[in-house]
Amino acid sequence: MDSTLQRAAELLSQARLPVFGGLFTDVKGAAAALSLARKLGGVVDHAASEGTSRAARVMRETGATPASFGEVRNRADTIVVIGNMPRTRDPKLLDKLFPARATLPRPGDNKRELIVVGAKKGKVPSGVRVTEIGGKNALPELVALLAAAVREGPFDIRDSALAKRILSAGERLRNSAFAVFVYDPAELDEPVLHTVLEAVRHLVKTTRAATLSLSAPGNGEGVNLCSTWTCGLPVRTSFAGDVPENSIWAYEAGRLLRSNEADALVWIDALDGEEATPPTRSFRGVPAVVLSSRPVKAGRDDVVIEVGAAAADHDAAVYLPQIAGIGMVKATAANSKRPTVAEVLSRIEALIDAKGAA
Amino acid sequence: MLVKLEGGRIIDPAHNRDAVGDLYLEDGRIVEKPDGREPDEVHDVSGKIVMAGAIDVHSHIAGSNVTLGRQLMPELPLLAAAEGQPVLPSPAAWGSYATGLRYAQMGYTTVIEPAMIPTHAIQAQTELASIPIIDVAGLVVLGNDDYTLNLLRKGDAKSDELKDYVAWTLAHSKAIGLKVINAGGSEAFKFNARTFDLDEQVPEYGVTSRGIVEAMQKVVADLGVPHPPHVHINNLGIAGNVDTAVATLKATQGRPIHMAHIQFYGYGKEGDKGFSSGAPRLMEAINKHKNATVDVGQVLFGQTITISGDILRQFDGRRAANPKKWIINQGEGNGTGLVPYKYKKKSFVNALQWAIGLEIFLLADDLWRVLFSTDHPNGALFTRYPEIFHLLMDKNERSRWFDALPEATRQVSTLGSISRELTLSELAIITRAAPAKLLGLIDRGHLAPGAIADVAVYTNRRDKTKMFSAADLVFKSGKLVVRKGDVVDVTWGRCYHVDPGFDSQIKRRVKAFYDTYYGADPSWFGVTEAVSDRPDRFATIRCAS
Ligand SMILES: [Zn+2]
Repeated sequence: MDSTLQRAAELLSQARLPVFGGLFTDVKGAAAALSLARKLGGVVDHAASEGTSRAARVMRETGATPASFGEVRNRADTIVVIGNMPRTRDPKLLDKLFPARATLPRPGDNKRELIVVGAKKGKVPSGVRVTEIGGKNALPELVALLAAAVREGPFDIRDSALAKRILSAGERLRNSAFAVFVYDPAELDEPVLHTVLEAVRHLVKTTRAATLSLSAPGNGEGVNLCSTWTCGLPVRTSFAGDVPENSIWAYEAGRLLRSNEADALVWIDALDGEEATPPTRSFRGVPAVVLSSRPVKAGRDDVVIEVGAAAADHDAAVYLPQIAGIGMVKATAANSKRPTVAEVLSRIEALIDAKGAA
Repeated sequence: MLVKLEGGRIIDPAHNRDAVGDLYLEDGRIVEKPDGREPDEVHDVSGKIVMAGAIDVHSHIAGSNVTLGRQLMPELPLLAAAEGQPVLPSPAAWGSYATGLRYAQMGYTTVIEPAMIPTHAIQAQTELASIPIIDVAGLVVLGNDDYTLNLLRKGDAKSDELKDYVAWTLAHSKAIGLKVINAGGSEAFKFNARTFDLDEQVPEYGVTSRGIVEAMQKVVADLGVPHPPHVHINNLGIAGNVDTAVATLKATQGRPIHMAHIQFYGYGKEGDKGFSSGAPRLMEAINKHKNATVDVGQVLFGQTITISGDILRQFDGRRAANPKKWIINQGEGNGTGLVPYKYKKKSFVNALQWAIGLEIFLLADDLWRVLFSTDHPNGALFTRYPEIFHLLMDKNERSRWFDALPEATRQVSTLGSISRELTLSELAIITRAAPAKLLGLIDRGHLAPGAIADVAVYTNRRDKTKMFSAADLVFKSGKLVVRKGDVVDVTWGRCYHVDPGFDSQIKRRVKAFYDTYYGADPSWFGVTEAVSDRPDRFATIRCAS
């Protein structure tokens, strides 16, 4: 082990711009990666940061109106599910959002309703009325039409049956006591995210409304939060300059590898039950240090370190959608001999420190 | 190692001390002058001012609300720095690491995060553990959560259950005390209320704000938690709200209460503009109610962001967002509102807010009950405390600022007629001795033997801004961490919390509640030693019962 870590320290201290990718790890693993990236002047990115990065940029530009999962489940009277991804990502989503059991007191006396936009209505919990807003139109267009209906603005489409459904959905939303738009930011482009936000902002002038954004896979939110409290910025941040710098385009791991701007990769994939997808060109030509809880096809000269899987081999703080925040998940098989990502990265950092001191 | 600070002017109001003398530190504590032993290290501090490390009783430095603010506004340090505020122009200046270093440079050694959300306590405590040098503690927020409200709806049939629930929550989040933010108001917001007063009822639950605060005061007293309920009262920021503050004080009926950032409640509605200083009336009431303590929440002009669990008020305040972006986060219990804000010298209202805060300090009969704060970052960034110390200690500096205010503000403010200047001892009361006493942190805030060796040494200057921006020396738990304003050693502090006992039945009840309504398990958000890798991270302070 020691000589492996020594090789990793060697490889990384020679790198000009190492990129820390994957980051499918718990909060402690993320903190250790951020610490090492800062020391080396590297870049941090997460393998599922496409959606979180977009959502982060929209938030920076104009704000946000999130609601916690618990508030939506207990108090929303109208839930708008946008696109396919929310239910693909969590097939039980609707059962969770429309629980058969009692809820906390909720505002208004509407019966609870579901509006599905740009997707098949699929299987819906019994007793829930559904409106389907779909057809040939593209998802962004459907969202824009619904938003127009919410504002009682003019719109014109050929499909008169659809137009009627959209108008009545707009009316329902205006008459809701708490309307919530559910989506996966990875499925929506930024203009669509803005449109949804504008619809919510229109509604809150007279009633209660919010958004529920699906959390990214691989503890994407947890890693993002950790990055933010550590350096003030989410992932896709570079520590190469005097102050950290965030750019959704410039500091995306895949782009840095394809363009050869990055000359080393630290790939981290160590969460129970989830697997990070490496960007193309990951292990080709770029020397890599791989921390993984499963077998990886790395290059011949790459340094591969087997680590424990967070939440299986060791307790792990990760983002939990049910509490809309970071929670602690107990290990399912806590007797593993495999080290954690945080332990390995801290030891590599100590070796690099020792080298610098020598 | 025995360290001697030789010949400094020791300011220790907890022991009525303001005299030249020596101070000895050993094994992290202040010690008596040892007989017949030479110190291992001597610091000549003759001509310097020696105080205990400062304690911040209310500063939003960690947790999901603060980090949401960082996500909304990573440019805050850049905008603030561009205006000349003392903060580095880097997004990282608002991060955990920089927070610890900057506090230490000013001589602060303990800071209280005043709004941990129970379900997000792990994030709050993980963030706090990533802040170097300073000791910390957190207040946990209850009073708008459905569990509490449900118990209060049922009346006093199972009054012990509320006591157990509060005790369990304090223990589960490792908090030092209880915070209540616009009691009932955030819950009412969920039912589309847009204002909420002391005697209004929470929809569906029937209980009033007054009832919630009263119940919490009783429970906290019964549990023997040293820090009384830390209450953000109703109607923050509204003209005429001094009535609410006075009514809330009356409602306490002599029971201990801490009222947070009281400046935001010092508003009358006299005059052409319907906005006036309520400070004289407020201070008359505070001076009289000896059961009450307050922190001030002073504002300074410039860019900041407001972060608050008072979602109802923040929702209203969104219209004043500057830059024009805001977050209303509807979560369990209070939720949060985040609204960037720029206090402008040329604004009649902002200028009067500035003056009202200073009036509150200067009209206090008993500074042991009027503590220093800016409600960082809500009134001003904590990096600007030295400017406020300067304003409090130097009436010429005050005039200099005052004269630049709008004519309309100067006409209605009485600040110009107040000549009081706080002394060094008085400053040490509002930034050291009083916060320690209020929090039950009896081992700090003073310089008697036995106290923790948190010591700040300053060069006495007329320019108090300069004096307090960079301490000459700062010792944290006996270790020298700052020299000439520079951090020379990055140490790691501890987190203080209470652990009042409770009937273990409550665990089963809370578990059933979370399972039913949230599909969640309370063990997920229970704070354990594991949030930190340092084995002595947590320290329990004793409850009276
Ligand atoms: Zn506050």
